[in-house]
Amino acid sequence: MTRSIVPPYLLAHLAEADATRLTRAPEAARHLLAQLDEVHSARSAAPPVRQGAIAADPVLERTIADAHGTEELPGDVVRREGDPAGDDPAATEAYDALGATYALFDEVYGRSSIDGAGLPLDATVHYGLDYDNAFWNGERMVFGDGDGEVFRRFTSSVSVVGHELTHGVTQYTANLEYQGQSGALNESVSDVFGALVEQYLHRHDTAEATWLIGEGLFTDEVQGRALRSMKAPGTAYDDDVLGVDPQPADMSGYVETTDDNGGVHLNSGIPNRAFYLVAEVLGGAAWERAGQIWYDTITNGSLSTTADFAEFAAATIAAATERYGDRSDEVRATVAGWRGVGVTVAVEGGMSH
Amino acid sequence: MMVTVQRTGGFAGLTRTWQVDVDAEPDAESWLVLIDELPWGQADDAPSTQRDRFIWLISAGTRPAKEATLPEQQVTGPWRELVDRVRRTSEAEAGDGSPRDDPHGRA
Repeated sequence: MTRSIVPPYLLAHLAEADATRLTRAPEAARHLLAQLDEVHSARSAAPPVRQGAIAADPVLERTIADAHGTEELPGDVVRREGDPAGDDPAATEAYDALGATYALFDEVYGRSSIDGAGLPLDATVHYGLDYDNAFWNGERMVFGDGDGEVFRRFTSSVSVVGHELTHGVTQYTANLEYQGQSGALNESVSDVFGALVEQYLHRHDTAEATWLIGEGLFTDEVQGRALRSMKAPGTAYDDDVLGVDPQPADMSGYVETTDDNGGVHLNSGIPNRAFYLVAEVLGGAAWERAGQIWYDTITNGSLSTTADFAEFAAATIAAATERYGDRSDEVRATVAGWRGVGVTVAVEGGMSH
Repeated sequence: MMVTVQRTGGFAGLTRTWQVDVDAEPDAESWLVLIDELPWGQADDAPSTQRDRFIWLISAGTRPAKEATLPEQQVTGPWRELVDRVRRTSEAEAGDGSPRDDPHGRA
């Protein structure tokens, strides 16, 4: 497999460098880029590699359990894969949304379940009393019913279910550490694929999508559309009790805090908006190219578990270059996305995006 | 003595705070016994695969303040008892019109 040890985007800079200062380097870079282009065209035409392809055919195996208002896990099984829907809306919503999440990863990215090998998808509903939360515990997704005053049940938003299941995908792939910038990236990756699950389910393209996370979680009492907006972080809610959505939309608003593992649910607004901008520049269905770039980034082994925004941004550019070629619309859109949120992608030698 | 519990994290990333002035409570003695027995100084540094769990910052008194930061899954037994008691008492007193420090205390 032809690879350049010098990243293609650096070669692209060199290729266009001032020829009065450098004489041989630009030509050498152009020559190498031409060789890589041939390889890249062949590779991007190939279907995505199916992880777990050696294992059995893709398997969707959902099990929904009910904790009956206690905090005991896993709870009693109330629905297995293939069972008809019962009369509990929370169990039905969880079952359907697990299916929608499986469908995105399998049909679009060729990934069978969280681990790429058909790992069973387990969820527990009715966890706790007035429990205003949903979480991933390392093995299953768990959903509360909300307090009924501010929050409705947490299964009512497909993006929430997709977000939680994506924590599982990240756990099996990039495994980004859940604190500071790597934690904000972990959170953002969950919002990205949570949003894409919803968009793919409804076949909404970038322009039609709401780009909201947790739309429908709030009761009518709350002045707010959703918990987060990827398109416009900081605008999802403005409520006299909850306050204003505190997410920053770019690096000038980065929050230094010890709360929330270093603000992982706050600073995720910045990479969220970067993803939105990439999708907006490209247009069409966000899961197809922007989502593919992000999926490649978390699965190609290039990320360290402590990646900060700059490292992640560089990795998305490298992934886009790998799949689409270094002078592609996709690479340009990815570079623009990160520039749009003020994340500087450092390149050795002092040139940066 | 002020006892404060602050909850951050969770899927929504909201911060909520509850507070009780234990000295003003009719059963102050039982509060002090509970507070005294707790293993203060615990920090949350165990690696975990849990995601979107709440994080609790519990503090009591001043000079020096006793503090503990605990992930939700470690708020069990006497810690859970204290947190539940602070929440219950604080919310009951809020219903009576007592001032709350945190204007964003509802969710």
